[in-house]
Amino acid sequence: MSHLKGLIRGEFERLMRYRIIQVGFMVSVLWLLVMFLIGREEARAFIPLFIFMDVALMTVMLIGAGLFYERQENTLKSMMTSPATMAEIIFSKLISAVYIAIQSAVFLGLFAYFFFDASVNFAILIPFVLIIALAHAMIGYAFSVWMKDFPTLLAATMMYMIIFGFPTIFYSLDILGEGLETVLMFSPTHASMLMIEFSFGEEVSTTLIVIGVIYLLVVAFVLGRYVVFPKYIEKAIKE
Amino acid sequence: METVFKVNNLSYMYKKNRVQAVKDISFEVKKGEIFGILGPSGAGKSTTQKVLIKLLKDYQGSIEYLGRNLESYDNSFYEQVGVGFELPVHFSKLSAMENMKFFARLYRKNADIDGLMKAVGLFEDKDRLVGEYSKGMKMRLNFVRAMLNEPEILFLDEATNGLDPKNARIIKDLVRDFKNKGGTVILSTHLMNDVEELCDRIAFISGGEIREISTPRELKIRYGKRILTVEYRLNGETKERVFDLDGIGKNEAFLDIVQNHEIETMHSGETSLDDIFIQVTGERIDEPS
Repeated sequence: MSHLKGLIRGEFERLMRYRIIQVGFMVSVLWLLVMFLIGREEARAFIPLFIFMDVALMTVMLIGAGLFYERQENTLKSMMTSPATMAEIIFSKLISAVYIAIQSAVFLGLFAYFFFDASVNFAILIPFVLIIALAHAMIGYAFSVWMKDFPTLLAATMMYMIIFGFPTIFYSLDILGEGLETVLMFSPTHASMLMIEFSFGEEVSTTLIVIGVIYLLVVAFVLGRYVVFPKYIEKAIKE
Repeated sequence: METVFKVNNLSYMYKKNRVQAVKDISFEVKKGEIFGILGPSGAGKSTTQKVLIKLLKDYQGSIEYLGRNLESYDNSFYEQVGVGFELPVHFSKLSAMENMKFFARLYRKNADIDGLMKAVGLFEDKDRLVGEYSKGMKMRLNFVRAMLNEPEILFLDEATNGLDPKNARIIKDLVRDFKNKGGTVILSTHLMNDVEELCDRIAFISGGEIREISTPRELKIRYGKRILTVEYRLNGETKERVFDLDGIGKNEAFLDIVQNHEIETMHSGETSLDDIFIQVTGERIDEPS
């Protein structure tokens, strides 16, 4: 892992130059504006949802967009013919994405705490965001290696949002009934949402949280081991 | 001379389309030589190169690098190897210097980046975004990228493709300098001019198979005709005669022409590498692969 530091530094430089970090920050600011507009009570209720959107979906987009640019510019192949290992290359991107997700969640969490009297347990929120971002970074990776170009990547992210994100959002808004809880646990977004809600002091069964954590870690591992690593190499070579 | 790469019965098939891109090829690359892999689009040049730089793995046959199985090397292999790709491989929204520093951080040993940028004529533009570079500038930057770690072996894929003659000359001179300092070069190209100027030995590859390996000179002698065509002036007109090279010093007709007539041109029957390639493979090389 001797090249990791250099790769992470390069990754941050790249994400800044491609304005990916700035766009992520703008989205966080947008959620803040929405919070101020909808009022204190509603904002407190919606903060976990905003953090979920910011962490889960923005991570998918951030990883996907970043990798799309790299494929377009053939830089993966160049990195693969350097002494950095494939694991180091992928981990550098994961670490950067997870760091940005944590920063964003902490930023929103602090605002929620200071301006809306939200109860936030950062000691729980931060490790949960790490797991959520890790799983969604792998989903973003999987999308970017499966999809041919940026429009199809966007379409895939939208489909993911419709299939997995909306039911979770509807459930948290009480539009979907409680009977669907078990089914929804198969959705990475729902597991993520429950974990964020838990860190904001909402009543969530500990069993569901444990299942959610294990489920997201399994999603990250399976996608990483069987999709991302082998396909990433294949894509890089085919550029 | 030390053998750098020893390739025995190498075959490679792409799983997806079940096409055998390389078929049972064998060759050696010696230390300090420029070895050219020459062939048209889809001939198997790039696949061969990708196998040698460990980008493609599930191949058949054996490859030794400095006497050891290539597969036994970990990524430290790349500390000794520089790869110049056919297409630009840079972050377009980073400056040329930022790109080079990004990649340089991945190596233990670094070349003098400023010196390399000066050598390829990019120093003045080092702080410009690569996205603003022309294709020729990007290709020159590719060369700098390949040389960043002061490699011992340089893989170049169509290194002068898209360069104007002046910049192609700069790259070719740098490749020759690299060789003169003891470096080994494996050059994949479809450009005969590059091969003629640079390569010590060449492999003609077509349909995934090596059809011929030799030095350019040896090939020209072997495939050329041993004839001499003389154009000379006679009674105000240009005449042409063709003589057999064997015994030409005693050929009276030839000696008469040389001694008593104004010679306009004299050409040996040496053939071009292009013609030899067509003779050997039945294919024409006109496209980059």
